[in-house]
Amino acid sequence: MSRSLLAALLLGPLLGHAATLETADANAQEAERARAEVADQLQLRAYDLLDELVYGWLQEPLFTVDTPLVLADVTVPVGFGSGLQALLENHLVTLLVKNPRTHLQLSHCPQCTAMVVHSGARGTVVSRGVDQPEALAATGIASGTRHALFLDFEAEGSALVLRARITSLEPTLPITWAKTLSTTTAAPALLRSPEHLKSAAEARKEYLDLLEGKGLLLVPVRIGARTYVSKPDANLSQVPFVWVQLGLEASLSQARAWTAGFTAGFTWAPQSHVGWLMQVRVARLLTGSTVSLTHPDVYLFVGGAVVSISGVAALGFKNTLPTPVDLKNATDTSPNAIFGAFHAGLEMRLKNRLGVGVYVETAPALDDSVAVGNFLNLGLFKLHAFGFEVSLCF
Amino acid sequence: MGVASLACVLAGCLHDPSAGFSQTKAASRNYQCTRLSQAQAHERFPGVVPELPPRGAYGVTDALVCDRRLIDLGERSGRDEWVLTTLGQSVDEITRAASALAPAQTRWHVDAFYPSAEVAEKIAVAARVSLVERGQQVSDRVPVLAAGDIAVLARMSADRSYQVACGRYFAEHILEPPDAFLGVMIVDAREAQLHAGLCVAGEWRWLQ
Repeated sequence: MSRSLLAALLLGPLLGHAATLETADANAQEAERARAEVADQLQLRAYDLLDELVYGWLQEPLFTVDTPLVLADVTVPVGFGSGLQALLENHLVTLLVKNPRTHLQLSHCPQCTAMVVHSGARGTVVSRGVDQPEALAATGIASGTRHALFLDFEAEGSALVLRARITSLEPTLPITWAKTLSTTTAAPALLRSPEHLKSAAEARKEYLDLLEGKGLLLVPVRIGARTYVSKPDANLSQVPFVWVQLGLEASLSQARAWTAGFTAGFTWAPQSHVGWLMQVRVARLLTGSTVSLTHPDVYLFVGGAVVSISGVAALGFKNTLPTPVDLKNATDTSPNAIFGAFHAGLEMRLKNRLGVGVYVETAPALDDSVAVGNFLNLGLFKLHAFGFEVSLCF
Repeated sequence: MGVASLACVLAGCLHDPSAGFSQTKAASRNYQCTRLSQAQAHERFPGVVPELPPRGAYGVTDALVCDRRLIDLGERSGRDEWVLTTLGQSVDEITRAASALAPAQTRWHVDAFYPSAEVAEKIAVAARVSLVERGQQVSDRVPVLAAGDIAVLARMSADRSYQVACGRYFAEHILEPPDAFLGVMIVDAREAQLHAGLCVAGEWRWLQ
């Protein structure tokens, strides 16, 4: 007893210390995750603002001839460091290099951004090179450079604001051009190709076209397999039926929360069967109120079908056990079975272009068939078949 | 608690920006929300908000659009956060007043006086850009007094020091007509309200 107490007294602080360390680690990881998330958002929004800035220069070039420009300063929101600054510099350089019609040629001038010391009649001044154009001019450093670009990003509440200005490197440092861009007045973050910049209005139109381009009607082509469960004591068993279906699917709105469709299908297997089906289906979107442009959508669907099977395989759907004569004459007489079925299942769609679904099916007419059993008896109805399908929508 | 949470989730609390079961008060304060009509919301977020039915709707007809602050409250000092969040609005008010008072063809010089040099630079840049967007001529050059002047000014009250500095700018020919100087500052370190003063022809005038 006393040993246990002693051990507890000795180990207690150690365990407590370990728990504190774990908590500190977890807090640090959480802070790092949050910081990375914010940086990602900022980076995308800042890229968007830079895209819009360069797009403006493409539409209304500031200079009629190619003009050297020093990227004098890129400042990021207070609280962020040089990592984000480097990303933004690189993105701007990429945009300017890929869009020569802006007539802005970035010029390498490390002395422009470095601290320089200049002594004159008024005294000695220590500042950045771009703040003392006379010092740069005296040494001939900036002989080919006449303009400097300053970019300032700041997070103002939920908006990211870019203030850009171009200063002429003359003694009076006149600002020749300035503009404020904000994410509150721009389009939502849109990653645009740097070679084909678009205005916010054009980007919005593309987005709407994408939404509307899906249309209210789709033509699904489905390939799937349906397997009927065999009765345990039956002498006959069914092979899986492979179906190819083609149809039309309509939605009530562009949100595609509810859809309804009609398809016709065909199945064939040599020496076994040939068949067709007519199927209707209603589906409800489960993963939100509208289809997603970026994530898969999952639908719950229910429907009904009329199935017709001809050939040897049709004997298994009948209520009477086939005789050897029936089997012998099957190729000549081509027995036929027609029955109705109801199905329910789930389908995952990718941008309403590609879908994968699974379903179960009940066919009340098959309850007394000689070969088809059920894998689940729900009392009111029995589940006779299950299947999967792959859909391509056009 | 579990049943309440489930009921809350089923009732849509996951999308509710207010504090409750799904988020804390601190997280809720980091949202900036605006209420829009359904038509406006559909115009801005066509993939999220459905179009208003042509025959009107009996249920919900508006949307609460919430944006999360880019930088959570508490990440930066309270004063910096307030000044930076309202920077665009406050600087626009200052430059509007300044450009109305200065003579035509004024060449503006702008500087900001704030305890944090990083934030001061942000304020000065915002004011310069705002003046250019108002069609004013603006210089990026910041007028600088000699070290002896600054040593004397540092001993004066804020109100007096800006007046004397304004006089010295023109007496020393650091600024000359048509130059004007716009100073944006906080006068008391405990406040977050930006003040501004205008220096034209050696005369200092407080704008706000």
